[in-house]
Amino acid sequence: MAGIWIIAEKKELAMELLTPGGQLDAAGGGRLTVVVPESEGDPADYIAAGADEVALLGRLSEEMSFSSWLPALAEEIKAADPAAVLLAATFRGRELAARLAARLETGLASNCLTLAAGPDGTLVMERLAYGGAALQRVAVTGRPVMATIPPRTFPPAATVPGREGTVRRLPPPPADSLRVLARKEKERSAQDIAAAKTVVCVGRGLEKREDLELARQLAAVLGGEIGCTRPISEELRWLPENLCIGLSGVQVKPELYLGLGVSGQIQHLTGLRGARLICAVNRDPHAPIFPAADLGIVGDLYEVTPILIAEIKKARGG
Amino acid sequence: MPKVVACFKWVVDEAYIRKGAGGALDFSAVDYKISEYDRNALEEAARCRGEGGRVVALAVGGPEAAKGVKDALSRGADAAFLAADPAFADLDPTQTAAVLAEVIRTRIPYDLIVCGEGSGDRYAQQVGPRLAENLGIPCVSYVQKLTVAAEGGRIVAERRVEEGVEVVEAPFPVLVTVLPEINVPRIPGVKDTLLAARKPVAIVKKEELPPMGEAKLETLALAAARMERNCEIFGTTPEDIARFVAALQRQGAIG
Repeated sequence: MAGIWIIAEKKELAMELLTPGGQLDAAGGGRLTVVVPESEGDPADYIAAGADEVALLGRLSEEMSFSSWLPALAEEIKAADPAAVLLAATFRGRELAARLAARLETGLASNCLTLAAGPDGTLVMERLAYGGAALQRVAVTGRPVMATIPPRTFPPAATVPGREGTVRRLPPPPADSLRVLARKEKERSAQDIAAAKTVVCVGRGLEKREDLELARQLAAVLGGEIGCTRPISEELRWLPENLCIGLSGVQVKPELYLGLGVSGQIQHLTGLRGARLICAVNRDPHAPIFPAADLGIVGDLYEVTPILIAEIKKARGG
Repeated sequence: MPKVVACFKWVVDEAYIRKGAGGALDFSAVDYKISEYDRNALEEAARCRGEGGRVVALAVGGPEAAKGVKDALSRGADAAFLAADPAFADLDPTQTAAVLAEVIRTRIPYDLIVCGEGSGDRYAQQVGPRLAENLGIPCVSYVQKLTVAAEGGRIVAERRVEEGVEVVEAPFPVLVTVLPEINVPRIPGVKDTLLAARKPVAIVKKEELPPMGEAKLETLALAAARMERNCEIFGTTPEDIARFVAALQRQGAIG
């Protein structure tokens, strides 16, 4: 090991990556470098959380996309020759990681759930494959070892006051052939599903768009957010895509997940494997969601949900 | 109108994977399919072709991927290239992108390359961006809406980012990776299948390509992911549901 690099677009993601980064660093020694946009807070915070060096990405012009950092970062990494490069598995992070890996002619382990150095120092990563049906253990044979790690996989690194480190700034790169024409922020409500404590998820068992109201009432009683399975957002378009829970959608980690009319396709279940308590209401006793759930009601959601709402209110003494 | 390449992968249908003894995966009864995400890529390529454009479907894989070629051709592509060899059956993303790039560079004129965001089996989400790098062209990933500019020569793409959507413009030649929500892929009918049988297919053998590099990603183990929980089942009477709610409270899931 000689050096670990962490690249993230947001402060909270960099702080999370400092957790595995710090562990690897402690195991092998070397410098821990954090690369973040200069808009992402005080560099001292990263140093307190374990960084030896903070490289701040200068502000890009409005027309430039984050991917325009690719050539500069590839050159930086070549020059520093770190043992490992970790990126947050965001949309931009996943693209940047794959393109960096191509330029550095190395391997990349995508969407890693775990990451640990084996007895011989080889980094071993675990990730999901086959729609979430399989756990794949991988190792990278090139240098640096590259990995992307989904948000909220690790807790933020603990901070130690009084640590010292260096800060430098990378000047914005020249414009490339991509031009950003517009940016659209998603609706506020949709931003919270990944962080929600309670998620009520609707699936194909819902017969009409108007019946979303039933799920909304249940979510309101539980103080939670609404999510959905892929057919609801992609085929029926009853809810926006950013509420779709699954492998290629949002991965949720709530205290309570409650599926209404969700059958439990593997790609969907993969999106909620981090939920503490999984509950399901489905007519079909053989629905694959039941073996993956903690509590289940075999019954018609239209019959069950109103009673459920009433019983929750009653249990709370309301 | 644009010359479009749609890349696809012929993958194991995960619905047929069984869990064997001791958490091993049993692939003995599996069937194959075009990776779901690549169906969106093929559909989008066909949609972008317009009048007078051309879509070439391209895959790399084992000899069994030949079945996938027919499927791809019934989904709107005009012609297909398949780099087929037993040695191509389980490539890592570096190798897959290298073979695709070599075939495209030497054999397929293109303006636009469309890939799925990831493959249905390994879902590494690397081949599209790596292919763009190998070809030295711009890459726009995770696209949910794609338009070829009316005057040609460039695309406008809406791509997903964490905060919402970024609308970007890029000149030809360019590669995009597409999200499932970009379109609803067609279900090929009998006529599509019959037409597909008459479309040209070129098989590229391993010997016709430069030697392939080493894999950079090594699979050490592949086992069934554990998802099972001990599900307690409740009935639907108000008493049953009251017990269900009590269980939620015991678990601290509701206040």
